[in-house]
Amino acid sequence: MNTNLKISNVTKIYPGCVANDNVSLEFNSGKIYALLGENGAGKSTLVKILSGVIIPDEGKIYLNENNLKLNSPLDAKKNDIGMVFQHFNLFETLSVFENLIIDSDEQRESLREKIDTIMKKYNFSIDLDIPVLNLSAGQKQKVEIIRCLIRNPKVLIMDEPTSVLTEQETSELFLSLKKFSEEGILIIYITHKLKEVMQLCDEVAVMRRGKLVSVSEIKNENIESLANKMVGQNLKTIKKKKAKTSSGQLIKISNLNFTSEDPFETNLVDINFSVNRGECLGIAGISGNGQSELFQVLSGEIISEKNSIEFNKNYIGDLNPQDRREYLMAFSPEDRLEQAAIPQMKIFENVALNNFKSSNFFNNGLINENKIKEHSKKIISDFNVNTDNIELKSQFLSGGNLQKLIIGRELITSPDLLICFNPTWGLDVGAINYIHETLIKINEQNKSIILISTDTDELLKLSDKISVIHKGKLSKIMSAEEVTSEKLGILMGGAN
Amino acid sequence: MIKIVKRDQPSRAIFFFTPVLAIFLTLVAGGLIFFVLGFKPFEALKFFFIVPIADKYGFSELLLKATPLCLIAIGLSFCFKSNNWNIGAEGQLTFGAIVSGGVALLFYEQEGFYILPIVILAGAIGGMLYASIPAILKTYFNTNEILVSLMLVYVSKLILDYLVVGPWSNPEGFNFPETRQFSNSAKLPLLFEGLRIHAGIFLALAAAVISWFVFYKTYLGFQMKVSGFSLKTAKYAGYKGKKMIILVFLISGACAGLAGVGEITGPIGQLHREISPDYGFTAIIVAFLGRLHPVGIIFASLVVAITYLGAETAQIFMQIPKYTGQVFQGMILFFLLASDYLLFFKIKFIGSKK
Repeated sequence: MNTNLKISNVTKIYPGCVANDNVSLEFNSGKIYALLGENGAGKSTLVKILSGVIIPDEGKIYLNENNLKLNSPLDAKKNDIGMVFQHFNLFETLSVFENLIIDSDEQRESLREKIDTIMKKYNFSIDLDIPVLNLSAGQKQKVEIIRCLIRNPKVLIMDEPTSVLTEQETSELFLSLKKFSEEGILIIYITHKLKEVMQLCDEVAVMRRGKLVSVSEIKNENIESLANKMVGQNLKTIKKKKAKTSSGQLIKISNLNFTSEDPFETNLVDINFSVNRGECLGIAGISGNGQSELFQVLSGEIISEKNSIEFNKNYIGDLNPQDRREYLMAFSPEDRLEQAAIPQMKIFENVALNNFKSSNFFNNGLINENKIKEHSKKIISDFNVNTDNIELKSQFLSGGNLQKLIIGRELITSPDLLICFNPTWGLDVGAINYIHETLIKINEQNKSIILISTDTDELLKLSDKISVIHKGKLSKIMSAEEVTSEKLGILMGGAN
Repeated sequence: MIKIVKRDQPSRAIFFFTPVLAIFLTLVAGGLIFFVLGFKPFEALKFFFIVPIADKYGFSELLLKATPLCLIAIGLSFCFKSNNWNIGAEGQLTFGAIVSGGVALLFYEQEGFYILPIVILAGAIGGMLYASIPAILKTYFNTNEILVSLMLVYVSKLILDYLVVGPWSNPEGFNFPETRQFSNSAKLPLLFEGLRIHAGIFLALAAAVISWFVFYKTYLGFQMKVSGFSLKTAKYAGYKGKKMIILVFLISGACAGLAGVGEITGPIGQLHREISPDYGFTAIIVAFLGRLHPVGIIFASLVVAITYLGAETAQIFMQIPKYTGQVFQGMILFFLLASDYLLFFKIKFIGSKK
């Protein structure tokens, strides 16, 4: 039976922003629809309205011509709308089956049968009786999908489902989704990844700043055209030149180990690598495999043995971040809002966090505010931070502008090595482009980069050499030209 | 139609206006409460806020009450600005008073210029020691400083109780729960003949100036601020974040301890059971009403001090229960927090144009 879902003139206003501005869309089963947009474009709001989490200010939703009243997620379920959120809603310590039976009205036996049929049909293999915490991210997602399928949904909404998956898991997911679609389930796929849209979907709706900007068929689009619609401007494509062959080693890590007392952290096992001047070493991996610990060890937030890190012919393993900066290292952590910057503090105060001695921010224990402000203004203009008010609290900067400020703060002292961790995470395409250009420029100036990232495309674009981190161990270092995203995917999954 | 719109950034003017608005709303609500209780609102408010400070004596009493409030609030502002929720200043005050009182008792038969500085110093150290408990537990054992500091208040009061009833009680005191009188050398000098205002006020003013300087002008202050917002950021910047947290607690404890010294070596001149009418708690309100800024805190301490005096005057002249003083303190904080909403949002009146 054909399913028709219609969103009609939906508007949702929050104080200070119009999340959805008069959005109308129509979906029909048999096709996979992409809802594409940058962060903050309003796609999540729209999806939450469809799943009953948010009630719109205006507008109606029709499923097969019936006007739906979606006042709670339960209403959405009752109306056969299933939703898989980006972050899993599973009880980690309960078994898979217990998780599934929680919101089901069925008897244990019949539910188990039903789950078995579903798993057989779609080739899922998950042990129903082990605790969820033992599952991989891909398996957890399958549990969420099964939870939806149990209810025979007419509509299945997937919110950024691949952000935690490996390449292989992603292609498995795509196969399943195509199968669901053939069976008549209407699929709405939310993402900001253009490649996935091209691979998977039949039609694409692009949102920008709360408005629907276009609806089109995939066969009439390509990655560039979609990117331009998403950002609202033409983007230039950037390409990295190959690094000049070896002009001397800059940093060498040897036999570095880190054992954590915290059970939620990953131990680092026998890390060895080196980076030459002018080179970018990419470190790939699925998040949670020791990247954060590796970053902290490299930045000096975690101190290690003196000899384990040799930088520019000095042993610096036992130095804290501030002392390492004096040796011309710079660091851009993953968490912009909780680590790299303090949102409640003003822009210029955040600039002072990188206290490089020769910048004279503090003299004899006193704050030299003029110097800091002067410096901040330079960063803002050199790195295109979109504000002219350095007294502004940094929480009012967009993610992209904040990241530019942080990268600018780290680079303005012209360090020999920049270590960055997911530098473009959660940014819009325009800002990502800018950051990528900046990183390429650093390499061109014969400075080095260690780029820890969970974004494989980014790594392939920017790195000269790539290694993969899995469970705290680094794979052998490969030249970026030999590596494909498939190969990385296999290594990220732990195979050799 | 009324519409609530988010501000692009918090308004600076509103930042200073909301404390005034909060005080105004407190007066209105207070008047209403008096009215409901059957008192004439304007007369009651007059007895509450004007009569107590209408003469020289009243004014001196105002400064006397404002001194500990200001001193403690200045100390607390270090903690609060760096997100450390020390709400046990009352305990630090008490423990500071115990230590300085103990030292003063050692010298009870002696005179000498050196005694007072030692007594004052002992009070500061006592407060610091007591504040170091929640600080160390927080930084090294991840305990919640709100709970620890609050519970320690009651511990310190019980210790004081024990001491003034037991080992330290005045042998010639007919079993009253109080110690001997300190010698004159251990007392803060009074500023004017016949008035109770004493030199402690200079300690408060000095604390205000020093705190302004440290927090706004020094690298140390900057590091405290950063560490308070995020230990992760402090670590990343290369600061010793945990030490900074302990430091703000120590500063805060020292100020509370000094306030304790002022209470026992000022007009009272001995240790007894109730040395503070909850100054340590009320100072939390003062700190926020003063926007955690030294100048603001000085004004706020005066405003809140009136509620102490007013409560007594109103009880004497109008038979209004003196606990209304606490009601007023509560209302000020309540309205302040509520009007802070205006920092981030503005209210727009939209006419129905069609």
